[in-house]
Amino acid sequence: MKIDLVLKGVFSALFLASIMRISTPLILPALGGLITELSGSINIALEGVMLTSAFTGVVVSAFTQNIWLGVLGGIVAGILFSALLAYFHLYLETNIILAGTALNIMATGGTIFLLYVLTGDKGNSSTLASGMVPVVVIPFIKDIPFLGTVLSGHNIFVYIAIVLTFLIHILLYNTKFGVHLRAVGENPIAATSLGIPVKKIKFTAILISGFLASLGGLNLSMAYLSLFQREMTAGRGFIALAAVYLGGRTPWGTFLAAILFGAADALSTQLGTLDIPSQWVSVIPYAITIIALVVYGIRRKAQIVEQTRRFQERELAKVNNNQS
Amino acid sequence: MKKFFSNPAVREVLRIFIAVGAALSLGFIVTLFVSEDPVGAYKAFLLGPLSKFNRFGDWIEESITLILVGLSVAVAFKANLFSMGTEGQLLLGALVSGSIALFVPLPAVLRIPLAVIGAMVAGFAWGWIPGYLKAHLDANEIVSTLMLNAIALKIYDYFLIFHIKADDAGYNASDFFPKEGTFQSFIPNLPFLEDVYTLFSDKTNITIMVYVLIIAVIAAYYLIFRTPFGYKLRMVGANIKFARFGGIDTKKTIILVFAISGIFGGLAGAHLTMGIHTKLIANISVGMGFEGIVVAILARNNPLLIPITGLAYGYLRAGANVMERSSDMSREMVFVIQALIILFVTAERFLPTIQKRVEERKENNTHTEKLAPSDGGSHED
Amino acid sequence: MALLVDMRNIVKVYSNGVVANNGVNFQIEKGEIHAIVGENGAGKTTLMKILYGLEQPTSGEIYIKGEKVEFKNPIDAMNKGVGMVHQNFMQVPSFTVAENIVLGHEPTEHLFLDKKKSIEVTEELSKRYGLFVEPTAVTETINVGMRQRIEILKILYLGVEILILDEPTAVLTPQETNDLFKAVRVLVEQGKTIVFITHKLREVKEISDRVTVMRNGKIMGTLPTSEATRGGLARMMVGREVFLDIKKTKMKRGKSVMAVKELSFVSDTGRAMLRNVSFNLYEGEILGIAGVEGNGQTELVEVLTGLRNPAAGLASVGKNVVTGKTPREVRMAGVAHIPEDRLTNGLAVSASIDDNLIVDRFFEPPIRKGILIDYDEVEKNGEEMIAEFGILTPNGQLPVSSLSGGNMQKVVVAREFSSSPKILIAAQPTRGIDVGATEFIREQLVEKRTDGAAILLVSADLAEVMSLSDRIITMFEGEITGVFPDASKIKEEELGYYMLGVKRQSEVEMEALL
Repeated sequence: MKIDLVLKGVFSALFLASIMRISTPLILPALGGLITELSGSINIALEGVMLTSAFTGVVVSAFTQNIWLGVLGGIVAGILFSALLAYFHLYLETNIILAGTALNIMATGGTIFLLYVLTGDKGNSSTLASGMVPVVVIPFIKDIPFLGTVLSGHNIFVYIAIVLTFLIHILLYNTKFGVHLRAVGENPIAATSLGIPVKKIKFTAILISGFLASLGGLNLSMAYLSLFQREMTAGRGFIALAAVYLGGRTPWGTFLAAILFGAADALSTQLGTLDIPSQWVSVIPYAITIIALVVYGIRRKAQIVEQTRRFQERELAKVNNNQS
Repeated sequence: MKKFFSNPAVREVLRIFIAVGAALSLGFIVTLFVSEDPVGAYKAFLLGPLSKFNRFGDWIEESITLILVGLSVAVAFKANLFSMGTEGQLLLGALVSGSIALFVPLPAVLRIPLAVIGAMVAGFAWGWIPGYLKAHLDANEIVSTLMLNAIALKIYDYFLIFHIKADDAGYNASDFFPKEGTFQSFIPNLPFLEDVYTLFSDKTNITIMVYVLIIAVIAAYYLIFRTPFGYKLRMVGANIKFARFGGIDTKKTIILVFAISGIFGGLAGAHLTMGIHTKLIANISVGMGFEGIVVAILARNNPLLIPITGLAYGYLRAGANVMERSSDMSREMVFVIQALIILFVTAERFLPTIQKRVEERKENNTHTEKLAPSDGGSHED
Repeated sequence: MALLVDMRNIVKVYSNGVVANNGVNFQIEKGEIHAIVGENGAGKTTLMKILYGLEQPTSGEIYIKGEKVEFKNPIDAMNKGVGMVHQNFMQVPSFTVAENIVLGHEPTEHLFLDKKKSIEVTEELSKRYGLFVEPTAVTETINVGMRQRIEILKILYLGVEILILDEPTAVLTPQETNDLFKAVRVLVEQGKTIVFITHKLREVKEISDRVTVMRNGKIMGTLPTSEATRGGLARMMVGREVFLDIKKTKMKRGKSVMAVKELSFVSDTGRAMLRNVSFNLYEGEILGIAGVEGNGQTELVEVLTGLRNPAAGLASVGKNVVTGKTPREVRMAGVAHIPEDRLTNGLAVSASIDDNLIVDRFFEPPIRKGILIDYDEVEKNGEEMIAEFGILTPNGQLPVSSLSGGNMQKVVVAREFSSSPKILIAAQPTRGIDVGATEFIREQLVEKRTDGAAILLVSADLAEVMSLSDRIITMFEGEITGVFPDASKIKEEELGYYMLGVKRQSEVEMEALL
């Protein structure tokens, strides 16, 4: 039976491993989105950062024939790109959505343009001998049945994503910078009153976000695939933002939400063999995000109503006691 | 002289000119480095759409879509609501109108208006959803509209691949629309217009959508600036607390704003399918909705200016196409120029940066009194 | 006792000409609890803002422990040991109490936060100064009293010696106020010096060592609290107002147009801001509400105009209940509202003057014509308003932002008056505007009242209230403390007693007059 095959496939180690690989280019920019979100800015330019770094990584690695220089190049490009966003938003006072949208457009067009200039091909960079980052095989673990396949043998970005989630958690909740960043995002007036430099922190947050997103872009062009394709980010920069909200704006929540999106993606391809349209499955995370928004909104309203009611009961009782 | 330059309207126009000029110059510098014939390439870019008739037609057709998405965005942005949802509304509008064009067995004179109306209804509904969420649950409209865009794409792809495309088709596209489902040329095929008709319909594919567009622009203008609803929209955008204080039902207004924004998005979708592509294809729009943001912003969300910015933006795109076809430059360079224009124009401090700094230094020496405290609590003393 | 703070000849003039502090000499001795009292506009908050570094004096000097200092911002002040506890808490809601207290100067161990230390420090400070807090509680879940203690502990953590408390009991329940006073005494025992700004004379008597009275930007006097009486303080605060030259014909008031019955309101933080307020408003009268801001007037206006819902009670215009309704419904019942915050509620600053003038009538003829708005009518309306109310502007299509404060208020007044309301609620109608506009608006209020409208005037400007009103109600802590049916027969000092809770009329006395 076809269903048996699919079910076997889904619950196989290979499938779970593929979820890890598919989710990584979502986890990384999502972490970036988280940092800016907590600092009080919406980084809508994650898409552009990823494209920029993906492209730069491929080009640099091809021309220098050195993978690591490629990675470095991609990171630098991503950070510079974000610096543009930060500069326009924080110092020239452009609305961040507009600046971000403009930069996304610039990245989309710019990467295709440069691709054409360098390779004469507008589709992808297959003519460039760019590299791929190494795959990590963990001794001992790789020999464990089932888990071995799931945990070992991924490209380095997968492991970097996990480690970074952990590090970002520490950064946000266990360092001075993290505390200041969250304070700036939640109550910038309070932060200023205590001498915390709001603009500097927001700027730094956008740069860190750029660093993280650029890792995501490099993941796409130097691990997931081995070349740059036009528009290869395919909206991941926006899904990343959704993952931040879905994950309740915490590092591990974002991580899990990104995996949810990745899993739905992987699942939808699997189910394609069952004549179930992949769209039905891949739409799930988006629907869940909206439902989460709705639920959150309803709960907040209910909370406020409840609190008001309690206060009123208490105070009115006092007032009436005084009168009588 | 100084007075002339301190007039805000003049500064605005000046700022746009400088921004565009700077962006175009930067583009030329890039072309110098990249192209073997930079002057030729740039000439094709700047003059291309006017050189041949069919290129002129492409320009107009492209601009129609841009103006419609621009209107969609402007309606929402004018009310200070950051709807990113035009993309999704466009897709569903395309789907609905394309389906009607393909499958509903009515004569053209009924089928086409039905398809257009269908697109408008689809857009209205898809805009209504985030509007309701924002108004009643204060849900972040950026996230909700982005999600709805993605969902709309899934719906579109699903129907296209599993229900619409021909079983033996090689790739994901529908059949071409029959004549009854395609927009006709905007010049009617009447005897006394024969010459004009041949000229335009042979060389260009400008459709009757032009007339719909004109109506849409005028309707948008009137809606925003001349109707009670438009007044509510503008006041919500200017100061929502004032709107509430004055008695306006802000919740209802917000929902309608999103929904009406959706109508224009849906129309853009109808134009893409029935006017430009004459079939439903995958990837029918890649980021058109976002380009609507650019068109709207450059026009300061004013419906009467959107045709101008839409045409200008469309001109750049058409010119880039010509440039690509007749030189070694790829058309994507135009995106970089567009992005630069947006950045320069929207940087509030771009032109006044130096001037503002001088003024601010003067202001710091004489402190201004804070008027009635708006953060509530501390009593003015 | 040693002189800790010496402020000499402080003058503060704002760019719009208002003289907030006019040659103030103010001294604080080490280890004292010093209260500064005064009405709104007396200059006390300005003086403290200067000491705290939030504002800079136009002229004058500050010496701390004999050393001349210049504070460009609050951080400078804190470095010299001066800290302010704000009314608006500067806290991050999702942080714990301890995190908020150490915010900005967190103890670290190597690269990382030393969270245990933060908690230890918090507990230590809390114990030392008798300010009870739960270090690990999340700030947004705790009550207002504890939130205030966070603000205090925050500046203590930074090592301030002088704590300025700005109307600290404004947000507290009576029990919380007691707790605060206990803590203040402990602070002083521990060597701190306290300045607190208040208008609550009972509290001054209870807690302070010395009290300074300010009025109109000047110090009226400083005396040991033991020698002060509430009545004496009230007299100094209120003083002899200059009577404004407002011509008012005696009116016989008509029937009741609005009946307010047992209105109660509880704020978002759980405080009862209105307690069983009842009164009637009559045709052809200006009913003035006299009281220091923060005693429920703002909330009363909000409840009566549909911006907030009451917790109990209601107000009705004729047969229509107007509380718990939308602003539109309230307006339809014939109530117009000049809001106390024109920039937030009264105007859309980026919109045109014409547009601002029609927000209450854009959906009806003659402005509305069929499905469109007749902009010729709108412009005509604008022209008429501009002429009638003397709004200084070349035309009505310019944005409101191009107008001066006084002219902005005229736009608000023009709109609200021209709707021919039965009832007009005017809150702080002449605040922050120039003399000419002020005179004009006051005249308009009297004119409307003579034409038969019912006007509820809420104003922190006592002279204004006394000169314009026919009848005056005093409010203190959310309750009506007195009714005075003939405003011309009452003296400022008397009113002061009732406004400051020193005296209070009995229910029986008031019933007939409300």
